[in-house]
Amino acid sequence: MKKIFLILTCLFITAAASAQKDLLSFNEQNKYIYYQVVEQPGLTADTMHARALYFLKTAYAQNKIKEGAISGNFTGSGKFLIASSLSAIKHVYGEINYTYFIECKDGKYRYWLTDFVYTPHKTDRYGNSVPEQGVDIPLEGGASKVDKREFGICLDEVGTYSKQFGDKLKQDMVKISNLSPKETHKTITTTKDW
Amino acid sequence: MKKKFLLFVLAASGFALTSKAQDTVKTTQDAPLVLYGSVDTYYKDDFSGHANIPTSFASDNNSASIGMVDLGLKKSVGNASFVGELSFGPRNDESVPTSGYHIQNLYVSYNLSSKLNATAGYMSTFIGYEVISPTGNFNYSTSYLFTNGPFQNAGLKLTYTFSDKVSLMAGIFNDEWNVYTSQHDVSTFGAQLTLTPVKNWTAYLNVATGPTSGTIFDLTTNYQITAAFKLGLNAASFTPAHYGFGPVTYGYSGVALYPQLAVSKVVTIGLREEYFSTKSDGSTLAGPLPGGHVLGSTLSLNIKSGPFTLIPEIRYDSVNSQTYSTFTDSNGAPTTSATQFVLAAVYAF
Repeated sequence: MKKIFLILTCLFITAAASAQKDLLSFNEQNKYIYYQVVEQPGLTADTMHARALYFLKTAYAQNKIKEGAISGNFTGSGKFLIASSLSAIKHVYGEINYTYFIECKDGKYRYWLTDFVYTPHKTDRYGNSVPEQGVDIPLEGGASKVDKREFGICLDEVGTYSKQFGDKLKQDMVKISNLSPKETHKTITTTKDW
Repeated sequence: MKKKFLLFVLAASGFALTSKAQDTVKTTQDAPLVLYGSVDTYYKDDFSGHANIPTSFASDNNSASIGMVDLGLKKSVGNASFVGELSFGPRNDESVPTSGYHIQNLYVSYNLSSKLNATAGYMSTFIGYEVISPTGNFNYSTSYLFTNGPFQNAGLKLTYTFSDKVSLMAGIFNDEWNVYTSQHDVSTFGAQLTLTPVKNWTAYLNVATGPTSGTIFDLTTNYQITAAFKLGLNAASFTPAHYGFGPVTYGYSGVALYPQLAVSKVVTIGLREEYFSTKSDGSTLAGPLPGGHVLGSTLSLNIKSGPFTLIPEIRYDSVNSQTYSTFTDSNGAPTTSATQFVLAAVYAF
């Protein structure tokens, strides 16, 4: 009986300790950053470049993509919603705008997400959740401008989103079939020549 | 039995944790059901000892009173979405057309393309600066322009987004404002041109016109000039239809300015300065007698703590002449001005 309780306690502690904000660190400009270097032995920079582009165009189609000055890299911007969930019901707090960078070299690639800016949402007259005009809060200054609980949710969601971004990128980097989007081939039968 | 139950819980917990490691990572998903809303309560004290200022809501004097509980549900799947918003309480009763009904918003919406959206149902009006929900207004008391203007319009509207700076809405609505069912037909035409000339400045040019509802032109604009300072403006002019409808059978015009300054993370101070005049041949829902005009000055604080907002507010309204005034002093004698204090608490979720 005691063992069961011990195992249960361990499981709940593990679950509680999975706060995703711990995945974030600070860069040289003292901005929050999610930074990863991934070894990918056997893959050339060109291959990974093509797969990264496929990833950006499919998994994050709404994001703005810009090829960087250095060959084999991408930079761009995107955004996602900050929300809290209570079973099937969700409450939207705001949105995070961010920039990303992906660079590929032979055998490895690195990426980071940074410049996180939080814009709280308000409910408009039609019940839509819309950004509060003119309220853009860099995440680094969020502690002094956003409610403590809301700010904690922001950091967790940024960590979760960044990890998901990285996991999906990693998945696409190793999939050969993802080199180019699938095309539908159709067979045309001509009735003119017979 | 207990052991079996605990083992079952253990297995379920383990499954829940391990199931987080998925083979594929989903990056897009349909939004779940979203719940939103608010509750509000207030205390009002008119310095005359009885209620004087006739604008909407917060009508009880020297009483700890309630506004409403507002509950909205919405969901989007693909290009389709719906909003259903219900409210209960005195504020609801003063804002819906039929006693016993509680619907503030009930509509379905569909994105016909990335630029064109179609929406049908019963919706908050596109006219005006202030709204029914206390979370959408800075001041707790409302303006004369709000009280006399439309609250809701039922109909079908199409919105085309030309760019992130320009969009146009056009629609056909029920013959009267604020009705769940038309009296005769669906004959009010409404349009809204939305312009965003520079970042953080949005202007809405609105018109609603019909043989029964009359014609209202409205300009609503908001400019967040600095991180701390915001300026809003609302101007409107209403001309009734020949036969008119309801209590708003005569025309009015007015303008209201809304400067707001955030003095700290928690406190924002804001003023509403409104000029409102009635045309000479009739009366409006709320305002001076025909031909008169009123100047309303409302100073409010918004003290925020997370979802909670405390609103202390002082308001002074002055009519140009006693001839046009409906205000009375503490002795019941006619007077040209009225002053009230309101302390309101609003919780949004």
